[in-house]
Amino acid sequence: MASRIAIVEDDPAIRANYSDALKKHGFEVSAYGARAEALAAMKTRLPDLAIIDIGLGSDVDGGFALCRELRALSASLPIIFLTARDSDFDVVSGLRLGADDYLTKDVSLPHLMARIAALFRRAELAGEASHSEEKIERGALSLDLKRFTVSWQGATVPLTLTEFWMVHALAKFPGHVKSREQLMSDANLVVDDATITSHVKRVRRKFAAADAAFDRIETAYGMGYRWKA
Amino acid sequence: MHLRFSLRTKLALVTLVLLALPWVGARYVNEMERFLLEGQERVLVATARAVATALHDRPQLLAAVPERDDALRREAEEELRRLAERNGQLLEANAETALRALGREGALEARPAQREIAAILRGVQRTSSRIWVINRHYQVLALAGSLRRRVEPDGDRGALRGLWERAVGWLIQRPTEDFAESVPDDVLATGREISAALQGTPGTRMRRTPDARAVVMSAAYPIWSGDEVMGAVVAEETTNPILSLRSAALERLLVLTLAVFVGVAAVLIAYATRLSQRIRSLRDEAESAIDARGRLTHLAAGSGARDEIGDLSRSFSAMLAKLAQHHAYLEGMAGRLSHELRTPLAVVRSSLENLKLAPTPQEARLYIGRAEEGLARLNRILQRMSEASRLEQSLLSAERERYSLDAVVRGCVEGYRLAYSGARFELSLPERHVDIDGSPDLAAQLLDKLIENAIDYARGAAPVRVVLTEADGQALLSVENKGPLLPQEMSGRLFDSMVSVRDESAGDTPHLGLGLYVARLIAEFHGASIEAQNLPAADGVALRVRFPLAWH
Repeated sequence: MASRIAIVEDDPAIRANYSDALKKHGFEVSAYGARAEALAAMKTRLPDLAIIDIGLGSDVDGGFALCRELRALSASLPIIFLTARDSDFDVVSGLRLGADDYLTKDVSLPHLMARIAALFRRAELAGEASHSEEKIERGALSLDLKRFTVSWQGATVPLTLTEFWMVHALAKFPGHVKSREQLMSDANLVVDDATITSHVKRVRRKFAAADAAFDRIETAYGMGYRWKA
Repeated sequence: MHLRFSLRTKLALVTLVLLALPWVGARYVNEMERFLLEGQERVLVATARAVATALHDRPQLLAAVPERDDALRREAEEELRRLAERNGQLLEANAETALRALGREGALEARPAQREIAAILRGVQRTSSRIWVINRHYQVLALAGSLRRRVEPDGDRGALRGLWERAVGWLIQRPTEDFAESVPDDVLATGREISAALQGTPGTRMRRTPDARAVVMSAAYPIWSGDEVMGAVVAEETTNPILSLRSAALERLLVLTLAVFVGVAAVLIAYATRLSQRIRSLRDEAESAIDARGRLTHLAAGSGARDEIGDLSRSFSAMLAKLAQHHAYLEGMAGRLSHELRTPLAVVRSSLENLKLAPTPQEARLYIGRAEEGLARLNRILQRMSEASRLEQSLLSAERERYSLDAVVRGCVEGYRLAYSGARFELSLPERHVDIDGSPDLAAQLLDKLIENAIDYARGAAPVRVVLTEADGQALLSVENKGPLLPQEMSGRLFDSMVSVRDESAGDTPHLGLGLYVARLIAEFHGASIEAQNLPAADGVALRVRFPLAWH
């Protein structure tokens, strides 16, 4: 049975385009133009994944509210924000509300598909036992490539997919400097330098929450970042 | 040279109008003097008339014509009298005869008459006036009084007062009592008032004393005997009492007007000073309202005042507020524009990608490829446009830490050597660490922008010089490139949003004039100042950022 994806997007052209693209990739798609309509439909039948725009017509922060309501309905539903807004403030707000990923509308369809696929994989594997061969261990760091989970000193660090890919790219070859461009392509992310910087900052903060002395992600000024072995 | 008058100077000049006051006062005093003189004249005429009334119709007093009455004659008379006494009473008649022979019988008769006139005159004489009686032959029959007033001794007056009087003396003439009192013969001969009186009409005259130190006013009144004028009474006085009144009045006027002038001038100048100080502070604030960074501030000077300067200040503030609004609109324009364009761009992009998924002919793929190329370029432009507004937002929440600027600069320049393979870099760092407060990531972004700018403008093979020095509690980061100089008129606006000095567009990299604006925002975040200058050799441009050092 095909997975069901709900798209909540106020712009009819984008909504139709994404619906078509997702349908071509074999997903079952239900598209909504407004928050109330979307919430009502999803309450009767929860989709397998939701793609939400933040600004929904005149409802400027409607996407945030919808995300909160969906999270209340289901703790495990994968939620992706797909929006024109790219300020740090919006990214942080979106992720804090429990979204699994935050993408700007610059993202290309193949990238979007890859993200969706990864999220489905994570959701599918959430309950299964981990396979050791799909793991990367770097000292206290442990990356599970199947479940897209990261743990530091045994404690799980709640990273988004984007952040997971970035940590993965850095930790794969400790000591090697990864430029911002490399991190971007590794994380399947199409954003600019400043956003990479803020992503790295958030990753550091999340690790620091687990271990206050965390200092493994090092900045190589002007070049990029590296994982300190 | 253009002459510049300050408000204060102008008001001081206006104060000079007050100098009309003493002129008006002097006119008034002169008028008063004229009235007083007229009064004095009337009094003199009245005096002369009174004396004349006493002498009317007593022709025997004036009829006698005294001969010339000199010492020789008197001696001769005495001699004759002695002779008569020696020869006994019999010779009395002879002596009389002899005297008559001398032509002195008139004199003998006149003498008692003169004594009588003198007695009358004594009755009416006053101090400071002189009265004389003359007969038709212009002979003075009697004279009483003196023109001189008694002068009170001044006593001991202070040195200051003496100095004051000397200073005022050359401005205001004081009357003196030291003048020649004698009556010259020509006064009698030419006196208009006297000849008028002898012709039957009272007359008055002003004349100067022979030494010209005082003015004498005289009035003559005829003495009648029946229908015939027998003589005249002349009353004289100096104008000194009035003159001294006048000079005292003038002196008081001078003192008063001086005091008023000084007082009014002081008040006006104080007012003008206050006024011009308010205007100056308003001007200074208006000049600095748009600071070096192009930010607008609010005017404080006089904004609460309820006068024209307050109005001016308020309308300045209102104007600045509008300007600031416009400024903010322009600065936010790029961010808003990129945000608004993102959704239609997403429509185009997703449509193109859907088109690619569909089975399309080869020819269509070519055009899809070109459309995607254009889309990518448009995307880059949008990213640059939103960079500034995104940075502004992230600056609000950016964390500050202490870091070594030299490490950041070294790392960045190494990165540039890799990134810009076509350019050469020359790096100069201080030996010690240069620690500043801020965000190293932002500092790297700032340096990115400076280097981007330098590479874009660099001409020839000369390397881009990156110099970091430490001096006077500041870290000076300088990025220099050889190339075209800065246009003069742009020097102040180079770091504003959407200002570019570029005249040719260089390839597909969009130049929106936002790079240096971003640099400015980051510099401001570090409390640093940023400036652009031509190199001393006038062959290139240096962009300099002065960071305050971290607290030790």
